[in-house]
Amino acid sequence: MQKIEAVIQPSKLDAVKDALVEIGVEGMTILEARGHGRQKGHTEFYRGREYSVDLLPKVKLELVVKDEMVEQAVQAIITAARTGTIGDGKIFVSKIDEAIRIRNDERGEIAL
Amino acid sequence: MQKNESKGGGLREVYQRRMLEIRGAFEAGAPGVATVAARAAAVDDLVRGLWAKGVEQESRLGLGIALVAVGGYGREQLFPYSDVDLLFLLDGKVVEKDVKDAIRRVSQEMWDGGMRVSPATRRLAECEKFDGDNAEFTLSLMDQRFLAGDRAMYDKLARQIVPKLLQKEHKAILGRLVELTGARHAKYGDTLFHLEPNIKDCPGGLRDVHVCGWLSRLERIAAAAQKRAFVEIAEDDKEFLQAVEFLSLVRCFLHYKNERDDNTLAWQAQDAAAEAEIGLVGRRPKKVDAAYWMRSYFRHARSVERSVTQGIEHVRPALKVSKLAGLGLVRSGGTKARGRLVDAAHQGFKVEQGRVVLEDSADGDDPANDPDVVLQVFATMAGTGCTLGREAEDRVSEALPLLSAHLEEGPALWHHLKGILTGEYAGRALRTMHALGLLELLIPEFHGIDALVIRDAYHRYTVDEHTFVLIDTLHGLETLQSGGMAEWAQRFGSVLRELPHPELLYLLALLHDTGKGRETGNHALESVRMAKSVLGRLELDSYESGLVLGSIEHHLEMSAALRRDIFDAETVRAFAGKVPTPEALKMLSLFTYADINAVHPDALTPWKAENLWRLYIATANYLDRSVDDERVGARAESELVHRVSALLPGQKANVVLYLEGFPERYVRTRTPEQIRQHFKMTTQFGVDSVQLEFRYAPGVSELTLVTQDRAVLFATMAGALAAWGMNIVTADAFSNRQGVVVDSFRFTDSFKTLEMNASEHGAFVASVHNVMTGKVSLEKLLSGRRRARRKAPKVVVETRVDFDDAASSHSTLVEVIAQDVPGLLRALSLTLSAQGCNIEVALVDTEGETAIDVFYVTREGAKLDEEERRTLKQALLVAMEENAR
Repeated sequence: MQKIEAVIQPSKLDAVKDALVEIGVEGMTILEARGHGRQKGHTEFYRGREYSVDLLPKVKLELVVKDEMVEQAVQAIITAARTGTIGDGKIFVSKIDEAIRIRNDERGEIAL
Repeated sequence: MQKNESKGGGLREVYQRRMLEIRGAFEAGAPGVATVAARAAAVDDLVRGLWAKGVEQESRLGLGIALVAVGGYGREQLFPYSDVDLLFLLDGKVVEKDVKDAIRRVSQEMWDGGMRVSPATRRLAECEKFDGDNAEFTLSLMDQRFLAGDRAMYDKLARQIVPKLLQKEHKAILGRLVELTGARHAKYGDTLFHLEPNIKDCPGGLRDVHVCGWLSRLERIAAAAQKRAFVEIAEDDKEFLQAVEFLSLVRCFLHYKNERDDNTLAWQAQDAAAEAEIGLVGRRPKKVDAAYWMRSYFRHARSVERSVTQGIEHVRPALKVSKLAGLGLVRSGGTKARGRLVDAAHQGFKVEQGRVVLEDSADGDDPANDPDVVLQVFATMAGTGCTLGREAEDRVSEALPLLSAHLEEGPALWHHLKGILTGEYAGRALRTMHALGLLELLIPEFHGIDALVIRDAYHRYTVDEHTFVLIDTLHGLETLQSGGMAEWAQRFGSVLRELPHPELLYLLALLHDTGKGRETGNHALESVRMAKSVLGRLELDSYESGLVLGSIEHHLEMSAALRRDIFDAETVRAFAGKVPTPEALKMLSLFTYADINAVHPDALTPWKAENLWRLYIATANYLDRSVDDERVGARAESELVHRVSALLPGQKANVVLYLEGFPERYVRTRTPEQIRQHFKMTTQFGVDSVQLEFRYAPGVSELTLVTQDRAVLFATMAGALAAWGMNIVTADAFSNRQGVVVDSFRFTDSFKTLEMNASEHGAFVASVHNVMTGKVSLEKLLSGRRRARRKAPKVVVETRVDFDDAASSHSTLVEVIAQDVPGLLRALSLTLSAQGCNIEVALVDTEGETAIDVFYVTREGAKLDEEERRTLKQALLVAMEENAR
């Protein structure tokens, strides 16, 4: 099992969710996030006041999938979230030791 | 030992059998109240049997210990899977550790019998004191009942200790009871209208039924102590008793369905309850669906909530506890309002101790039958946060048919409704109106969303309650907030304060979801259709109606835009197309903020609020910066042209000619009637080339100039108004391809010249006209002007002059932010003229003490070059400095 964490543009959330559901990934956690990488913030003016956007709004998805699904899920995210410009986001993949379904204590991949 | 075990086993078997019989009887239609009493009786037998067995085993249990049923069990109301509250009462001679194991054994046997026992061990002396931190124990003692053991000791508890405790501490107990009830209600957002309510703990649930019982008994004691008449709280009320039976049935049903003490009326349970027609009596549809059944639930819960609220309102004045503040007993902020309440008399009613009391009938005229009095009552409630007394509620409820017959629609009704909607506690007043049926009398379109459950994963409340929470949220922006949302509440609050017509925002909020009552697939459009009918009856003018209807139609657009890339100019441009004017944008932004918040207590996060704010400012900037380029084209078939020419039969070609070249902003911010008027003014140029239209209003008046463009026009108008002491709040200046200008100034009357002297209106317009035609020298007029005393500013605004060369394809945008002081606009516009600049478009606005003036200017028909911009900036700064002296 591996965990995929993807930080994407909020506007791409629906497309990414649909793409993951299409390949059979239905369980995921979605977090509202702020951040920046190479895409720095910027400053806006409104009625003479300055509003600096140091941290840009992002959405973070977390999902745990079977090993054989990892590449397919990563590709689905990339395809749906990519615009080709700075700020499209990042994907991180890491190994997971155990998954437990709280309702019935099922363990391992069956709990996913 | 074996004999005892088998005796215990026999008792348990009997108990289990009786549980099955009780369940069978319930499923065969036994009443809820009877079902819970039957279980209590069965538990009595088991507990007594097990206790007798325990005494046989351990003789020390036989002396100085009484087994007492308390809480729900004491009331003989044991729901199928409820805990059994047992008190092991010890006298002073019993050593607790000697009997501890024996008591534990008895409790264990009860658990083995399938009961969830909540045992408590107390000495008699411990029951004499009231502990505010464990008020629940004293409350549970109010419902005590003897089960087994030392009868004499129990009698002492029931006949001496508890009555003495209640006599001595009734005020403190009442105070804690009110606090605990307030905290519990607050946990459920102070509303009973949840999509999946907890029928025990939600407002209007069974816990509130118990609270009514306790209040009633404590009130009886308080009345006796104060030697005054006792007021019964709810318990003899037929509607209340029906509600108790309904809720009891539903809780039994839920327990049996879930086979545990689960009191959440989840969607599946609602479907099942509807199918089984739980609690329904009398006429009903052939097929009862969950929505119908839930309305029945809400009706009963509303009756309980009403009783508990009135009960608390009744006892509150007697409470000396000040800690109540901040607990938001009925609605958030409710107690805060109370601090400001002042007893007052009005025509037909008065406010006493925070409650509205209707006057008695005089000569057969009951104030409850007079719509003006009744609507004023609710406006007072909305403005002050006071509540409606029980007797007044009953009288208004009974008077509905007569009120319906006497109700006057049109501006009179809008005046009343406006007063209610804009009151700080509008949500509270509207909920009461809704509960009494008065809101539906005024707006029958609201009926479709009464207690309407729309199932989705995000909504917490019924549609009507969502509407009220939305209105509460908007009013909440007017007050200082704390916590994670404080920054955003403050920012959106500042937008709310700028709204020219806040009442229209509240009307939009009230009507935006009315279409959900009909299954058409597009509730926004259905809401527009229903709102049209409401607005027609209220006789709103076409600008106001257009603003409300347009906002209802697009009420989901801003939420939808938030799911797109809000930093993308195209997203902003597309969204701006849905909000034609800055006022519409402000309304929609505020509405969206509150709409998200009213979905679910956790739905509006700082993250969402920040994105909403970004979209708002990006769109506001876009609207200001796109004005010059987005102009009306020469298309006779365009909708804009059609709307105006429809008012001018046979003149379509001239209308096209007139409109061509005006910024679209001009057409979108004026009603077709206003544009027709401006057009007609141009036809009078032959008689008088300076046409003025004056619209007086007590707050902000408006003067519009229609004439041929020429130099220093805008500055002269600004000067003429300044000479009369008028404070310009907003202004705009537009021109068409033929060089016709329409300059509109909205201003307040600093010296109340126009307000105090209606006869001066003509002289004022004539004076401005004379200045504009050159008959009177502006400088002369200005030299005699009264200077308003300049107060030190509350907020010091830093002066800024910025240029934007990209906003327009052929003009340079100049944005000036400065302290708003008299004469500023004239100083700026004169300087622009002196620098050889032509004002193509002007958008002048004021926000508190900040003046925000945007000018699109050209010089000799072209944009300003860098040197010209630098010179102009310097000149503007100097002019502002001189004007401020």
